[in-house]
Amino acid sequence: MNAGILSVSPAFYRVWLRNAQVFIALWKFNFLPALAEPVLFIFVMGLGIGSYIKEIEGVPYLDFVAAGILGSAAIMQATFECTYGSFFRMRIQNTFEGIISTPMSADEVGLAEISWGATRGMVNSTLVFLILLVMGVFHRWQVIFLPPLMFLAAFNFAAIALLVTSRIAQMEYFRFYFAGIVLPAQFICGTFFPVSRFPEAVQIFAWVIPFTSYIDISRSLMLDRPARALGPELLWALGTTLIFTELAVRSMHRRLVK
Amino acid sequence: MIIEAKSLSKHFRDVIAVDALNFEVERGRCYGLVGPNGAGKTTTMKMIYCITEPTSGSLKVFDLDVISHPREIKARLGVVPQENNLDPDLSTSQNLRVYARYFGISKDVAASRCQELLEFMHLSDRADSPVPALSGGMKRRLILARALINDPELIILDEPTTGLDPQVRHLIWDRLLELKERGITLLLTTHYMEEAQKLCDEVLIMDEARSVDVGTPSELIHSHMRPYVLELRADRGHVAEILSRFGHLEHQSSGQNLYFYGNATEEFNGLYGAYPEVEHLLRPASLEDVFLKLTGREIRQ
Repeated sequence: MNAGILSVSPAFYRVWLRNAQVFIALWKFNFLPALAEPVLFIFVMGLGIGSYIKEIEGVPYLDFVAAGILGSAAIMQATFECTYGSFFRMRIQNTFEGIISTPMSADEVGLAEISWGATRGMVNSTLVFLILLVMGVFHRWQVIFLPPLMFLAAFNFAAIALLVTSRIAQMEYFRFYFAGIVLPAQFICGTFFPVSRFPEAVQIFAWVIPFTSYIDISRSLMLDRPARALGPELLWALGTTLIFTELAVRSMHRRLVK
Repeated sequence: MIIEAKSLSKHFRDVIAVDALNFEVERGRCYGLVGPNGAGKTTTMKMIYCITEPTSGSLKVFDLDVISHPREIKARLGVVPQENNLDPDLSTSQNLRVYARYFGISKDVAASRCQELLEFMHLSDRADSPVPALSGGMKRRLILARALINDPELIILDEPTTGLDPQVRHLIWDRLLELKERGITLLLTTHYMEEAQKLCDEVLIMDEARSVDVGTPSELIHSHMRPYVLELRADRGHVAEILSRFGHLEHQSSGQNLYFYGNATEEFNGLYGAYPEVEHLLRPASLEDVFLKLTGREIRQ
């Protein structure tokens, strides 16, 4: 039995295209609602709370929180796509069973789903990026590295999400994943205030979630200051992406080919 | 040989879904798998189209092993699954074109095949309809069209006509016979013995994961049944009385229905002469009689 990323042929993009085609057919329902959350965050956190806080770590609050809002837009969209979205296609619509009855393999479906989740995360965060750009939040040319970094972040969380999806029997289990990982990631990984505010145990938990690394790197690109540990952070981001992608693809194979 | 299964088995944890199945399907034949729900028909089919792996035994499709060559095998067959898995967010023709892409068929070829197949399945005027707007029969026809997108040598049909009206069922039968005439091999499961009798050159009867018997429909009827069946629907009082007087004839009972089996119609003369008021039907034995005789009348899961 061949399984894992190495068994995937480049033709996996055909499954990605199927998702893109459905996304375009339903674009009205996809674009605007997905943007509501980050836009709300910009207003509530950046402009609302920001007007009280004024400065955090020496920069205006909106400038500080921009990295978190951008990252959230990427990982939340990827997470939704590869949890509820993938589960719906797998269990409710039986889409995957149809696809693997053609020359496509289960592993290709897995990688295509992760890539698609990453794509949506990047599309979403790129729109947020443009909004922030227009608002004049960015002051350095290095911010052009943010969209590719957000693609990696979205890919990373899409892979983790698909691993969860491939292991659960019913949708309700997603609540544990959201309560245990996704929500904490959104709030404790340095999104709205520095991780260093937390007790050490929480800080360790925050740094284990790769989102903290992505935000720290993003902030260093936006604010002209070094990342806390660029090398290890990048290594952790890339490493967990690779490991979770391989695990998710293999797990998807076991789930689909019984 | 298009399909060759040798002591093919599939276990799911402690459940034996398919147990030491042996069968062969020749090119251009229509082969039927029949059996009660849970007999292992769908699992057998899924092993053939490579989305379930055998636990033991060997299974070759197009002379290729299903474990080592799934991609090559799947490229040459078409599948009509038991459950509808059309893309509800795409139109009728988009559903076909998305599948064409999975097979690596170029856009131009896909477009012309798509048009051809929609005509073949009487769906041309619904090419742009969204799937949820299609009736059950249209969806089924679209799934059959989709199974033909790669010009397959083998088509696997899991209950292709379940729940359809007689018009659609006949259309599907006509199309399947037409495909068979073109030399395409068909493997199908069905709960309609009439369908199996009409379409299949050979039928394998399965029960509780095993093969019970195999043969052409008429072979199966001749080897298991007397040629004639007299069905009686009697009230409770009559049932006991009829059985006490005519119980020496070969028979089966199911509630108030009695089935007597005979080699000649004359054997029943005394029987319905004695009860002219009891509703009766004299008919030739069918595959359904064989099915019920071999797999019993009690309800399965």
